[in-house]
Amino acid sequence: MSALTLDAVGHAYLGRTILEDIDLTVAPGEIVALVGPSGCGKSTLAHIAAGLTTPRTGRVGRGYARHAMIFQDPALLPWATAAGNIDYALKLAGVARRDRGDRIAQAAGAVALEPDDLEKYPVELSGGMRQRAAIARALAVRPDFIFFDEPFTALDVALRRRMQDLVIATCAAGHVSGLFITHDLAEAARLAHRIAVLDTKGRGILGQRALAGAPADRSDEAVFAWVQAALRRNPLFRHIHDVDERQIA
Amino acid sequence: MPSLTRRPLHHRLADRAGRVLEFLWSGWAGLAALCLLAAAWQAGHEAYGPFILTSPLDTVQAVGALAADPEAWAIGGLTLQRAITGFALVAAAGTALGVAAGYSPATLRLAGPLITVLMGVPPIAWIVLAMIWFGGSDATVRAVILISALPVVFLGAARGITTRDRTLDRMAEAFGAGPVRRFLTVGLRQTTTTLFPAFALALGTAFKVAVMAELLANAGGIGGALADARINLDIAQALAWVTVSVALLIAVEYTLVHPAKAEIDRWRRAAQPWGVKR
Repeated sequence: MSALTLDAVGHAYLGRTILEDIDLTVAPGEIVALVGPSGCGKSTLAHIAAGLTTPRTGRVGRGYARHAMIFQDPALLPWATAAGNIDYALKLAGVARRDRGDRIAQAAGAVALEPDDLEKYPVELSGGMRQRAAIARALAVRPDFIFFDEPFTALDVALRRRMQDLVIATCAAGHVSGLFITHDLAEAARLAHRIAVLDTKGRGILGQRALAGAPADRSDEAVFAWVQAALRRNPLFRHIHDVDERQIA
Repeated sequence: MPSLTRRPLHHRLADRAGRVLEFLWSGWAGLAALCLLAAAWQAGHEAYGPFILTSPLDTVQAVGALAADPEAWAIGGLTLQRAITGFALVAAAGTALGVAAGYSPATLRLAGPLITVLMGVPPIAWIVLAMIWFGGSDATVRAVILISALPVVFLGAARGITTRDRTLDRMAEAFGAGPVRRFLTVGLRQTTTTLFPAFALALGTAFKVAVMAELLANAGGIGGALADARINLDIAQALAWVTVSVALLIAVEYTLVHPAKAEIDRWRRAAQPWGVKR
């Protein structure tokens, strides 16, 4: 059984169709990257898949036990410390209070958050530390599926790479499935087992390409070569860097 | 390893004691402002004479005389009781209605003109109506406080909900929070930014309106005592009651509203630079 199945999903805002006839599956233990230009409906599709938005048409099948989500904005509660934010997700997941301290420490350790950082409010943390706290919050609930909604877009190159390594290691170790939304083909090629390309107008999945080997085993050279070849020779990826500001608005 | 979900009791007590001491230390600015007011008051007294404006010292002495009189305590207590119960009513009703309207744009649009009408009617008009409806009772004072301060609390609560950070709602939903839990843990918490200033304004309105309604409705309390001072042309007594009224307001604001706000808004202090904190 698939971890996630999108069957003929469509959606519209105020009468304007933004997604139509989307079919996509994610197998257990697989990370699928969904790429496409800004404004093509990737985030809306992730929200539909995660149950945050009800699709206008089609069906969503979820074969996993628990999901978590990492947003582009860390979306941390400003009135709670980093530990309090992780604890919030654990409370919602119904984890007993006596276990929550250990779970917070484990999740924080996985993303290299120090105990001192855990006592700080989000306003006292840098952008990278906030995103780490958001990742720790997602990991703490021990999901078997994670939705990544362009989580590293706002980070600088070095930090983004460290966060990508963290995701690769976490997903490989925990046999976690995921849907990774990005408009960065290099990021998709580093993290995913398979890349799906969304139509520029959201009218279906244009095509999918599987990448060789597991993300953890892929070298930078192999990723670079694959991306260059895809952009130069594969028409599927021709429009993923197009930007239509009208669609974004 | 220490618990990450709850810090040890002695740490929390030390934090709290530190915050209380910082709060008390910050009182010097308020004292300095009061000294400036007293200086201006003294200048006015020296310019116009004691019949128009008694000196601050004479007023303090009159307040001291009131403090020694058990009947004055009962008068002050009556106004305090009316103002606080009126404030509690308006805080509960305004917050409930404002939150409901905040989640319902159509209701908020409908409520907008009504709020404008309510704000445009002077409290004295409501006092006349309330006197006809309820006579010279507690209900008159509470009803006028409710009607006068409701728009401010309503708008504070509604604005808190409409301007909330919706990404936090989405985050909570993504982690499994239902609508009620999202409201209690995310939505309601975000209203404090606009609700607490509205509460402070409503509390001030509650005291002002309580004294005014008591004076006009002949309902006893500080308003009644002010009416007596007016009849006797006793400026010192009138200013002493005004001082008592303001002191009661400050006492309630700094023992009720500010501690609650400081407790809820602890995280904001983390973002403040050192000079603003102290």
